[in-house]
Amino acid sequence: MAMIEIEGLRKEYRRVRGRRTVAVDGLDLSVPEGGVFGFLGPNGAGKTTTIRCLLGLVRPSSGRLSLLGADVGDELPRVIARVGSIVEAPAMFPRFSGRRNLEILARIHGEGDAAIEASLERVGLRDRAKDPVKAYSLGMKQRLAIAATLLRDPSLLILDEPANGLDPAGIVEVRELLRSLGAEGRTIFVSSHILSEVQQTADHVAIVAKGRLIKAGPVNEVLATTGGSGVIVKLGDLEAGRRALADANIPATIEAGAIRADVPPDQSERISRTLAEARLFVTELRPDTVDLETVFLELTKDQGVGD
Amino acid sequence: MRLLRSEFLRARSRRLVPMVLIGGLIGITIGMGIVAFTAEKPSATQIAEAQASFDQQVARCERNVERSQTSVIGSSPEAYCEREWSPPVDAVFLRDLDAVLQGTATFVILLAVFLGASLGGADWTSNTMQTLLTWEPRRFRVFLVRALVVAVCVFAITVFLQLVFSAVTDVVARTRGSAAFLPSDFWRSVLLTIGRVSVMSTALALIAFAISMIGRSTVAALGALFGYLIVVEAVIAGFRPSLQGNMLLRAAIVVITHQPIFDPTAFDSTGSALLLDVPKAWGIVGIYTLLIGLLGILIFRRRDVT
Repeated sequence: MAMIEIEGLRKEYRRVRGRRTVAVDGLDLSVPEGGVFGFLGPNGAGKTTTIRCLLGLVRPSSGRLSLLGADVGDELPRVIARVGSIVEAPAMFPRFSGRRNLEILARIHGEGDAAIEASLERVGLRDRAKDPVKAYSLGMKQRLAIAATLLRDPSLLILDEPANGLDPAGIVEVRELLRSLGAEGRTIFVSSHILSEVQQTADHVAIVAKGRLIKAGPVNEVLATTGGSGVIVKLGDLEAGRRALADANIPATIEAGAIRADVPPDQSERISRTLAEARLFVTELRPDTVDLETVFLELTKDQGVGD
Repeated sequence: MRLLRSEFLRARSRRLVPMVLIGGLIGITIGMGIVAFTAEKPSATQIAEAQASFDQQVARCERNVERSQTSVIGSSPEAYCEREWSPPVDAVFLRDLDAVLQGTATFVILLAVFLGASLGGADWTSNTMQTLLTWEPRRFRVFLVRALVVAVCVFAITVFLQLVFSAVTDVVARTRGSAAFLPSDFWRSVLLTIGRVSVMSTALALIAFAISMIGRSTVAALGALFGYLIVVEAVIAGFRPSLQGNMLLRAAIVVITHQPIFDPTAFDSTGSALLLDVPKAWGIVGIYTLLIGLLGILIFRRRDVT
């Protein structure tokens, strides 16, 4: 069963003087069970609107959405207890303590103190639970929001830009948390415009731009979209190195002060041995992999993204 | 029930609730402290003279009521006449408590409206409504439960503050004034006034709450409600006096004082024409509360939460 199923989602916002803004334009998406699913796109791509539609906060103009097999329009209350979510910035009462904020939410589904303690422990906020939320750093607020989502022991987590505004240490914390939650068998649907961040945690990704789906699939498949990877080699005599590799049937070109060998990174040993036999010794040997950012820019170059 | 418990915890955790309670208690303490400090206890002679005047006036009043067959709303002719008389002594009399409670109703209602608007609007300001709806997506239920919490909180707080005020007045009157000349139905009348003021406060708090859910802001709710009561109703009353009988502010006054109001510009065979009687005033308050509440629910259910 797909944890999230979206078919032909369209959302228009009416603006002043009858003008309309299309936030999501016929989006189709299927999120499989388990693991981390990255929902990628630049600011204004329609990610948050899609998430709001999924959670029943926003009424779609057209299209069909289901969460955990339940139709969002009619059956959302039936499954909402199994869904944890954060939409945009974590929204908590700033003058209440972290614990009080969790208590208020926990009571809605009858969760007790044990669930609150476990959630606080999980995100490392137990020592600061009595402090007012307004005294928390952004990273702590984000962790508190994640703790709130964990109160219900959800099988699906929908997190909108969870690393937004965090410092590097906070980003690492959130990344580790997402990894561990995904490893527990939960499905984590995480939207982000920080592509490098998602690449490190996601198993599957979907790339959206201007409210439309551009590409979706396992990360490796999406990365392969723009061509294969290679190996970058640096050494003293680049031309001699290129010839030696060509003699060994390894296609190579000289680019930007280095040799780029068009073979998968797992053949680095062959490159190293070939050059050593020609008495050429490498100073640097590294895989030239394509990252999500490159793929994203390649896939969206016709969409006017970033104009 | 779970949502109700959560909403009560949320309301209880707001600083506004203890602030209203403490502010009210401080106000009562300071106000009654000044009254006690400046009051002089009437002498036994003054009370005796006033008692003689009281007995004569009440007897005369009762005869007039019987002769004219005037209907007395909500009390016996005796109690009515006892209330109509004022002791000719400058002192703090416990018998004035009922009238003072009606006078302080404006302040009590202001507190209630502020509470109602804030309990609805705060979630929009801090964006926690979005969080709440991702836990309980049934918006009709969210609205009703919160309205219930607003009603219970406002009613309890306003009753409590008025009871405290009444108790303090009783102590001050007995020590620094007089508890004489109490009408026979005095405490019943005081309790009914407290009840009417609290019900009226609750109704206006619910209206403020509904407007805050429509405007998604405490300030917008306060502005819209007071703007309507102070400006719109005043304009309508000025240009279309015959419509005054349908206005919320007039209805609130009638409910609290439990006295009808008459149209000074229109006359019938018995004198000034009746503009708004007590049952109709209750009905108008109920209709306003219900209609604005329904509008709040409709808009809350339909509008996107972004």
